[in-house]
Order: sequence, then C-alpha cells, then structure tokens
Amino acid sequence: MADEFDRFLASSLAPPERLPDRRFVANLQARILLEDQLAGKRRAVLGELLKQLVALVAVTAAAWFIGRASPIADFFAQTPAFGLAILLAGFGFVVLLFSSSGRTVPFR
Amino acid sequence: MAPNNDEDIALSRRAARGDHPAFAMLVEKHERPLRAFLTRLAGATIADDLAQEAFIKAWRAADQYDGRARYSTWLTRIAWRCRIDALRTDSRAEAPEAPQEYASPASAEVDDMLARLSESERAALVLCDGHGWTHSEAAELLSVPLGTLKSTVARAKAKCRAMWEGADHG
Repeated sequence: MADEFDRFLASSLAPPERLPDRRFVANLQARILLEDQLAGKRRAVLGELLKQLVALVAVTAAAWFIGRASPIADFFAQTPAFGLAILLAGFGFVVLLFSSSGRTVPFR
Repeated sequence: MAPNNDEDIALSRRAARGDHPAFAMLVEKHERPLRAFLTRLAGATIADDLAQEAFIKAWRAADQYDGRARYSTWLTRIAWRCRIDALRTDSRAEAPEAPQEYASPASAEVDDMLARLSESERAALVLCDGHGWTHSEAAELLSVPLGTLKSTVARAKAKCRAMWEGADHG
C-alpha cells in the first residue's frame, strides 16, 4: 500500500501538467529544416567537387596522351620555356576554376 | 505491437516520408514527458538540448520505428543514448544543475534526493515511479536484466526514503 512517501515521490516525479510547448516545437522544426537545407547544399558542393575532379583528371590524361605524341614531345624538348608557360597557364586555369566554383555553388 | 500506439505509428510513417506537420504532432505529444525526464536527469538547460537532439535523431530515423514498442519508449531510448554520449564526452553534463521548471520546495527536495543517486538509479526511479513505465520497459531502455532493474529501483527508492525520513518527514 502506498504511504505518504510513495505519494510524495510519485507526484514529484510525474511530468508537469501543461499544454504543449509550441515554441519548442517551432524551434525544433526550424532546426530540422535548416539542417536538411545544409545537408542538401553539402551534397551539392561535394557533387560539384567530384565532377570537377573527374574533369581535371580527364583533361590531365588527355594532355599527357597528346604530349606523348612525338612531334609535340620533340617541340617541348627543344623549347622547354614554352612548355613551362603552358604548364603555368594550366595551373592558373585550375586555380581559377576551383575558386570561382567556390563562389558559384554557395550557401545562399 | 504496443497497445494504443496506432496514431503514433501512422504519424511516424508520415514523418518517414518527409511530412513535417506529422512530425510536429509527434513532438507536441511527446515533448512534455521527455523533457521532464531529461530535466530530472540533467537539469533544464541541458535537458532541452538533449531533447532537441533526440527529436532530430528520431526525425532522421523515423523509418526505423516499427511500432513494436511505444513511440515514447523508442524516443526515450534515443534520448537516453544522447545523454550517455553527452556524459562520455562532456564532464560538465555529469552533475544535474538546479532545475528551474520545478521551483517548489517539494521539487527542490526531490531534486536534492535525485542528485545523490547514480545516473541509472535516477533514470529508473523517474521512469517507473514518476512516468508510469513498466519495469520491463525501463529494463529495456537501460539495457539491464529485469531483476537488476527491479533492484535498482528498490535501492534508489530506499535511498530517497532514508533522505526523506532524515529530513523530519518520517
């Protein structure tokens, strides 16, 4: 049989009687929406990065195959400065490509 | 399947399909007992953070709720794991702060008693004596055998009774 202590404990530990806390519900919904949006944007950024990496690998492979052709290989062997200039231009292009995609895929 | 759970199962299935209003209804229904439980464990401020985290996890895992246990049991299990993780990673989470939500003398007294119990004793006592959980449900939540849970509740209650009687109530 429940004594005074049991009744005290049960009534003290019971959840308080109150209406649902709509502010808590609204805050939670807002946080869920925000996290869903961020997850979507994270996926988009990763997808974009992956596409650019694939494109970069493809262009590098193509350049390597072309560079192996004897007339071109001979040309670069005779004028290494020109080859270096092309390499630097390619590097600059890649840097520009990545930095501009950082601005265009963005957390708007 | 748990009894009187059909509405929650239906809402959870809708939530699993991305239905935000359905999930909001589940939150409205279950935030009060969940936050009360967590407040008793960790204090009001940490409790709200834990409850938010638990609800977000429940939203993401809505398709994993199969209706075998009550929705409140499933949700409290998620919240309990959040609490255990918080205790592992953040030593500040250990001692429950003074709750602001229950600012009555009796409530302060019971908080003082609970603060002297271990985490599992506190959880078992609050759920079984305050929230009307069965011993089996609480044992499942705390991942202990039924007999262990029963003795945990009895021990926690005996400690509280000793403190209560020591405070000139007995």
